[in-house]
Amino acid sequence: MSTSAKTWLERIHALPIKNKLRIMNVCGGHERSITMAGLRGALPKQIELIPGPGCPVCVCPEEDVYQAIQLALHENIILVAFGDMLRVPVNVGKADIRSLEQAKASGADIRPIASPSEAVRIAREHPDRDVVFFAAGFETTTAPVAAMLAEGVPHNLALLLSGRLTWPAVSMLLNSDTPGFDCLIAPGHVSTVMGPEEWAFVVKDHGLPAAVAGFTSESLLAAMYSVLRQHLEQRPFLDNCYPEIVRPGGNTAAQRVMQQTLQVVDANWRGVGVIPASGYGLAPEYAHLDVRARFPDYTDTARKRAGQMPPGCDCAKVVLGKIYPNACRLYGRACTPRNPIGPCMVSDEGACRIWWSGGVRESTAAAIEV
Amino acid sequence: MCLAIPMQVRDIDGFLARCEAKGVSREVNLFLLQDETLQAGDFVMVHVGYAIQKMTEQEARSAWEVYDEMLEKLDPAHA
Repeated sequence: MSTSAKTWLERIHALPIKNKLRIMNVCGGHERSITMAGLRGALPKQIELIPGPGCPVCVCPEEDVYQAIQLALHENIILVAFGDMLRVPVNVGKADIRSLEQAKASGADIRPIASPSEAVRIAREHPDRDVVFFAAGFETTTAPVAAMLAEGVPHNLALLLSGRLTWPAVSMLLNSDTPGFDCLIAPGHVSTVMGPEEWAFVVKDHGLPAAVAGFTSESLLAAMYSVLRQHLEQRPFLDNCYPEIVRPGGNTAAQRVMQQTLQVVDANWRGVGVIPASGYGLAPEYAHLDVRARFPDYTDTARKRAGQMPPGCDCAKVVLGKIYPNACRLYGRACTPRNPIGPCMVSDEGACRIWWSGGVRESTAAAIEV
Repeated sequence: MCLAIPMQVRDIDGFLARCEAKGVSREVNLFLLQDETLQAGDFVMVHVGYAIQKMTEQEARSAWEVYDEMLEKLDPAHA
């Protein structure tokens, strides 16, 4: 029998923690488990759990969403995307179409999918039409996209690829003057694919405690206990609290498939900017599948706030763990899951959406005067 | 998007498998587990329709319990 959540909580409460300690997670799944299980309220008050860059939809470039909307509106294509992407608003005038959902309502052929294999199926079912797969996601999602490419895709399928690597954003934070956290909970399924070793830099280069966690309260609390003890004993190491599926070296077959089909490139993160070597592009042998090679570029250089978060929206600070979701002035006021303004309130992995689902309904920030 | 779900393999045809979780059946792609030996009855962690790792039955069951708890707590706006 594994150690119960109650036992882990008792062990954490028994630790001599005097000062405030900030533990960051970088996975929407972790944040969801923490919030839904009410772990914040169960921990000693000195411990802060900070949701960091763990939402691929939130950091997907606004320009890519705009591009997808324009392609769907102006080209005779079927656009397929993971469902989360459909409601992300872009910055356009009030009368213009601002999301894929609105484009779909106005007649564009846009279809939500749950798997890359559905993109292939739809392309096969419509050999006379072009299908564009708008693929955002971290490593866990990009590996299946790579598998789709390696298995061979129909001639009429093109990719708008917005894949991102998780660790470079954490590295960027740690190399900044204000990382904003003292310990890291590393993502479970990213580590399943890429191997836990990817997170060794947190310990080796920055001297911070780190532990890979799964998604049960037991695994998350075990990881928290580990990093807290590491911190107190000043003996940081990379712990693995999700050994059931996170194995040394990760899934090497998946990594091989990714290396064959993709290349790591500098990439833009919405509201953050370009992070070196943090994105996935198509490998040269697959470059002919790039949507940019097949369709016009709809970038509008005159568009106001292109690439930015919406006015008044603090998603960029939320994504980097600089503020809690409910510290945004729009949270629960202008921005709710039914009428989201920022991507963090749209995506199931966005910290704002998760906190709302967890029952946090009010902003702590002063209201904006209208 | 990142929510991965443990499923049990029912039957395998090349890189495609029919998998099941709590009575729901899905086609799952096994391409990313091409270095593993898989057979009917095995448990795999499935993400966006692709198996990303083999796992034990015990781990699959504890993950299912977590998801059940979460689904119970979700707000109506999510549904």
